Amino acid sequence: MMSQTKILLVDDEVEFASALAERLQMRDYDVKTASNGLEAMALFHGSPPDIVILDLRIPGMDGLEILKNIKIFDPTIEVLILTGHGDVESVAEGMKSGAFEYIMKPIDIAELTSKIDMAMKKRISSRD
Amino acid sequence: MEPEKTRKRRLLDFIRTWFNAHDLFGILSEDRYKSLKLRIILLDAVLSMIPLLIVVTISYFWFLQILKDDFRNQMKWEIENSKQSIEFFVDQKLSGLRFLTSAYSYEQLSDQETLAGIFSKFKQECGGLVDLGIITPDGIQRSYVGPYNLKGKDYTNQDWFHEVIVRSVYVSDVFMGYRKLPHFAIAVKKENPGKGTFWILRATIDMETLKKYPYSMNLRENDDAFIITYDGTLQTPSRSHGNVLEKYKLPFSLHAQATTIQNIIKPDGSPAIFGYAFIDDSPWILVTIIKSNPYLKIPKIFKNELFIITVLSIIFSIAVTFVLAQTVVNRIKKADRAREEAMANCEHASKMSTIGRLAAGVAHEINNPLAIINEKAGLMKDILETSGDLQKNRDKFISQINGIFDGVNRCRTITHRLLGFSRRMDISHDAFDFNDALKEVIGFIEKEILYRNITLNLNLTDSIPKIESDKGQLQQVILNIINNAIDAVEEGGLIEVSSGSKDINTVRVSIKDNGSGIPKDELKHIFEPFYSTKEKGKGTGLGLSISYGIMQKLGGSIHVDSEAGKGTTFTLEIPKKIGEG
Amino acid sequence: MTDNFEQELRFLQMRFIGKILAGFTHESKNYLAIIKESAGLIEDMIKLGKSGEAASNQYLEITHSIEEQIEKSTGLFKYLNRFSHRMDTQLSDFNCNEALEELIALVNRFANQKRIELAKDFQQDLPQIYGNPSMIQFLVFSFLEENIITLDQNSRIIIKTETANGSIMIRIIPEGNLIEVEREKEEFPYETYNTVLKQLGGALTRLKGALKFTFPLKVSDS
Repeated sequence: MMSQTKILLVDDEVEFASALAERLQMRDYDVKTASNGLEAMALFHGSPPDIVILDLRIPGMDGLEILKNIKIFDPTIEVLILTGHGDVESVAEGMKSGAFEYIMKPIDIAELTSKIDMAMKKRISSRD
Repeated sequence: MEPEKTRKRRLLDFIRTWFNAHDLFGILSEDRYKSLKLRIILLDAVLSMIPLLIVVTISYFWFLQILKDDFRNQMKWEIENSKQSIEFFVDQKLSGLRFLTSAYSYEQLSDQETLAGIFSKFKQECGGLVDLGIITPDGIQRSYVGPYNLKGKDYTNQDWFHEVIVRSVYVSDVFMGYRKLPHFAIAVKKENPGKGTFWILRATIDMETLKKYPYSMNLRENDDAFIITYDGTLQTPSRSHGNVLEKYKLPFSLHAQATTIQNIIKPDGSPAIFGYAFIDDSPWILVTIIKSNPYLKIPKIFKNELFIITVLSIIFSIAVTFVLAQTVVNRIKKADRAREEAMANCEHASKMSTIGRLAAGVAHEINNPLAIINEKAGLMKDILETSGDLQKNRDKFISQINGIFDGVNRCRTITHRLLGFSRRMDISHDAFDFNDALKEVIGFIEKEILYRNITLNLNLTDSIPKIESDKGQLQQVILNIINNAIDAVEEGGLIEVSSGSKDINTVRVSIKDNGSGIPKDELKHIFEPFYSTKEKGKGTGLGLSISYGIMQKLGGSIHVDSEAGKGTTFTLEIPKKIGEG
Repeated sequence: MTDNFEQELRFLQMRFIGKILAGFTHESKNYLAIIKESAGLIEDMIKLGKSGEAASNQYLEITHSIEEQIEKSTGLFKYLNRFSHRMDTQLSDFNCNEALEELIALVNRFANQKRIELAKDFQQDLPQIYGNPSMIQFLVFSFLEENIITLDQNSRIIIKTETANGSIMIRIIPEGNLIEVEREKEEFPYETYNTVLKQLGGALTRLKGALKFTFPLKVSDS
């Protein structure tokens, strides 16, 4: 059986992140959460994830910076960016900087999981 | 009582505006334009009238002088003319006599009959001839034709006899003669060639012919012209200075040989112009006295016309000035209004922009709590679907529900800000708590501050009472300044907001940041419109100038203190009641 | 005077924004209230010890409803976002239908109160135009509001867009009977709006007492 997709969820809204993490766990994903850039990067060095779900608007470290750092660390790690409505500029920036896809908050869980799977497919193919 | 006072007050204010031009550029009222108009008209009219009047006066006197000179010249000319005519007349008569002496011999003319024949013929040609006679070298009248009984008369003792011998011609002055009419006599001496002897031919001429010369001059009423002898005896009748052979008192002694014009004062005290000329080869002086001042009559007409023209010019000039002033002031008014309008539009746009951004901010912020609620509800759904029963995970469920409640509250708070802001769209005079208003503004930018890790210190003095001002506009200014402060500090910077009462009438708030500061040479420009230190495309440069304008309008003020590298402090002072402080 | 006219217009526009934001806030509050109630209900159910299939089904329904409310809120805030961003710049390229859609979404609750239907009749391929979208929203809102006030319950207002002679025509056509209205505030500033429209080449007319307005907008070259 395929190993679980490892997901790192980076969002400063703890309530949101924990609820979403739980839901994804229930859907058979291995989810870790971080609430800021430093925590996120720390978790990277431990066991790097397959997919990162990243909220761009995080205090303390520019979301875009984190995205770029991830891509530098391992370009095969796919990043899905979370965004609020109307945040068109940051989404465009994010996509330019190498994000795989974007999801709008509040999230449609089905949409999210399908995008995670697509990202995973890409990651697997690019790793080989 | 009240309206009268205010009317007087307004009048005083209006007049005061005439002298304080510059403080009028603040508040724009109708009075200011009226007084500006009046000032322009007065200034312009006076300035244009002065040269006009100067020119008119100078022209007038210059013209007067020319007329005077012209008149005197004309008078001189006329006198000259008359003098020459009289001289010609005399010469003519003398020529006649001389002709007779050449044409006829002494013997012929001595013959009474011949003389009588010559006399009658000569008389036809020479008008005014009264008598004719030959006088021997001894002074005896040899032959005579005429009304007197002069044959044989002895002239040896008479002055004229001696004179004619010396000069060869003689013209006498006028004497009372035949029929008590004035006459004068002329005589020529004829030398016998080779013999050394002479004889004299004498004629008496009626003064009538002489009279016409002075009369022929162009005389007006009150003028006079006549002929006198050197001692002032009138030779021709004058209009107002005596009759023939009466004495005329000369106003001054005449000695100039050329024609002379001079101003005199007549015995009756009135001024006149006295002109005279000596008539050559005669004992006469031609005198003209001009009393009428024709040259002054002309200026009178001129004066009238001049006056009318001047008055019309002045009226015209004032009218033009008036129209010009009207046009100019109207243009100014229009420009002022347009500027006001543009400012109002700018402020409006700025206000809209601010609200727009706040509202957009709310819309953005709300995403997170909504997302939380969504996830929690979704999670609860998921758990139930997997585990099957309500009571199984009840604690978990309860915790999620609480999370949802929290989310809802957060949403409420966020949208409530919007409500607070939207309420004040049309109210501009409100009593409100200053610190609350400050806190509201801070609520708007809280997220931004958090996002950038900026520390915000609030030192709000509790004792500030409610103030009456335009809350919305004030908040707009404070928001503008705080946004600038946020842009100025780096990550992890510090912003301090302090509020307090400056004095009984004024509230003060200061916003201090430890950002990059503003260099001294830029400091004096920051309130100028369109001045921005941000890169192109970011910021309009209007924020601070509009803030400045708003503070002015609210009767308050805005100051800035800054040092490059150290930080910036903005201080706002607001009167507690609009219209005071 | 032009002075006061411009001033009045700005004032009215501000008031419009105030009304929109207030209306929006209230609507979102409603959604939040439903969510809160639903959550409270579940809490009660659990605390009361309910269990079993029926309870579970109810529970699922309720959570589903919460998600629905979230979706509606999200949609609403999306409109708010777009609406707010339009206020940021005066002139821009925009799609008329989108701008009107936002407006209608935000105005719906006013109409719903009297069960008046706001029907959209938009031409599909409407070209972009360059103008002041916020102003257009303001004007359209003013006329809609006026019609809503003067129409009877259960009436209909059609908002129609179409191209005509190189410009875009917006028409607001009321359908229904008029009612007598007691106005506590001022009368509808017919003249002010008429003047603005005239300046822009539009026209404001009364159709059987209600307002009908046409408003041509030039199509942008880009």
